Amino acid sequence: MLLERLEALNFRNLSGKIECSGHLNILFGENGQGKTNWLEAMHLLSTTKSFKTSRLKETICFGEELGIVRGSVKKSAEITHELQVALQGNSKILSVNGKKETVQRYLGELHAVVFNSDELEIVRGNPDARRKFLDNGIVAIYPAFVQTLSDYNRVIKQKNSLLQSALDHDYSLEKTADLLAPWNEQLVSLASRIHKARVRFVERLNTVLEKKLFGREEISIRYASSLEGRGDLGDYAALIEERLKFRVQAELVSGHALIGTHRDDLEVTFDGLDLRKFGSSGQQRSALLILLIANVSVYFEQNGEYPLFLLDDVDAELDYRRIGQLLEFLNGKTQTFVTTSKDSFVERFSAGSLVFSIVGGHPELHRT
Amino acid sequence: MLDYSEPVAKLIDEFKRLPGIGHKNAQRLAFFILRRPKEDVERFVEALHEVKERIVFCNVCNNLTDVNPCLYCTSPARARDVICIVEEPYNLVAIEKTRSFKGLYHILHGALSPIRGVGPDELMLANLFPRLSPENNEGVEVAEVIVATNPTTEGEATANYIARLLKPLGIRVTRIAMGMPVGSDLEFVDEVTMDKALTNRHEI
Ligand SMILES: [Zn+2]
Repeated sequence: MLLERLEALNFRNLSGKIECSGHLNILFGENGQGKTNWLEAMHLLSTTKSFKTSRLKETICFGEELGIVRGSVKKSAEITHELQVALQGNSKILSVNGKKETVQRYLGELHAVVFNSDELEIVRGNPDARRKFLDNGIVAIYPAFVQTLSDYNRVIKQKNSLLQSALDHDYSLEKTADLLAPWNEQLVSLASRIHKARVRFVERLNTVLEKKLFGREEISIRYASSLEGRGDLGDYAALIEERLKFRVQAELVSGHALIGTHRDDLEVTFDGLDLRKFGSSGQQRSALLILLIANVSVYFEQNGEYPLFLLDDVDAELDYRRIGQLLEFLNGKTQTFVTTSKDSFVERFSAGSLVFSIVGGHPELHRT
Repeated sequence: MLDYSEPVAKLIDEFKRLPGIGHKNAQRLAFFILRRPKEDVERFVEALHEVKERIVFCNVCNNLTDVNPCLYCTSPARARDVICIVEEPYNLVAIEKTRSFKGLYHILHGALSPIRGVGPDELMLANLFPRLSPENNEGVEVAEVIVATNPTTEGEATANYIARLLKPLGIRVTRIAMGMPVGSDLEFVDEVTMDKALTNRHEI
């Protein structure tokens, strides 16, 4: 897939359009001029979500009814799709070639992977950031997984609510177990599917992982099930079923669902050490990029094309040596967009790329 | 101080109790009513009144009916050995439209949902069990109970709960299949539905 052109209307402070390069695009400008807003627009066009806010209303230009982001995506030599996300209040209207589409259908049109400071949570934050990284990666190659995740979350929510009221009303252990049974039965089958999908996805990441892309340390990843050491993970369904039965009392006492894939983690280590605890901030950034690149490669294996790679404020997060290695690796693979506020960055990396100066939200192609 | 005079505020308040109606919509409905001719409003009130006066839950199946037991429960044309359980009366209507089910119904008026405070006691399930004895079913033994609750996690939990109660009684409990809408092209079926359809495939 190739984003040929991107336009924004009443979205943040943006105006005008970007005619993109299929390789590297550098969005260059002072802070506050709107470089990141352009990446946000691309992210919106691809995922229908902003990476800055969950309230899309905030992104519409003040005083305007409708915010629009629109782009031409070349699907093949002869097929180009015109994508549009129109924002009105907090609701959005998605269309492809002028025809309204459901989110589910729309999502296959354009895929993007983002590197920014929020994504650093994956390597230094809580397990939920890493589970989300895995789940998003799986959904990108297997869209029906969305339903499994949402059913699972619903079951956990219902279970928590049930356990809470069991606690409030002093239900007996037996009664609680009885009431939990229909939810636990679904939990077993949904958690088994999630466990299997995540283990398989981590295996796939592992086969393409560029373990030493940025240095001497070797990055390794492993899916860490919360049921590890509790029995045979090879028969996950039987194991979790047994654990759920065994832990009813603990769940009742805590008032929370304690067993399931919502307690799992992705273990990331460098030379065998826990990256989150012992990694320097540079090592964490390198590891994050290695993970994102692996994600991109798995996506390519599955779909035969690369997603867009969006790198926000790349020079604040990475030194030039790493940036050079990264861009070299991505060259000829992904269509890449980076933002920077440094002249030296442009000087060093602009060969073979398009550079856009962003002033007051407006992009101007740099002639060199 | 109230934003509106008391009777108007009271009406808005009543509308807000309806499902899916927020403050804005309640105001719109109230002002719509205020602008209607008196006869129209009286007809509306009459309809509300009548529905509460004349419509009751069927003692046997919990269907909404103006004769008790309802027409389904007393019809000699219905097969009495199979009972189909649904969540809501409109689910019954949808199944009836197919004309392919000739058995009896049982309506739960809800599905298990701890979030909404709906547990087994809140479902209209207790009166299902007496129906399973031939002496309460015109001498006919119930051979099968079809659980046609919705394909949501709540509907599944409800189906599962019912199966746990009925199976020890030696009754065959079945669940309706979920999957492809008939008459649709494979190409236009979303992945989730396709996934369900593949999971529920059968031998031909
Ligand atoms: Zn009836």
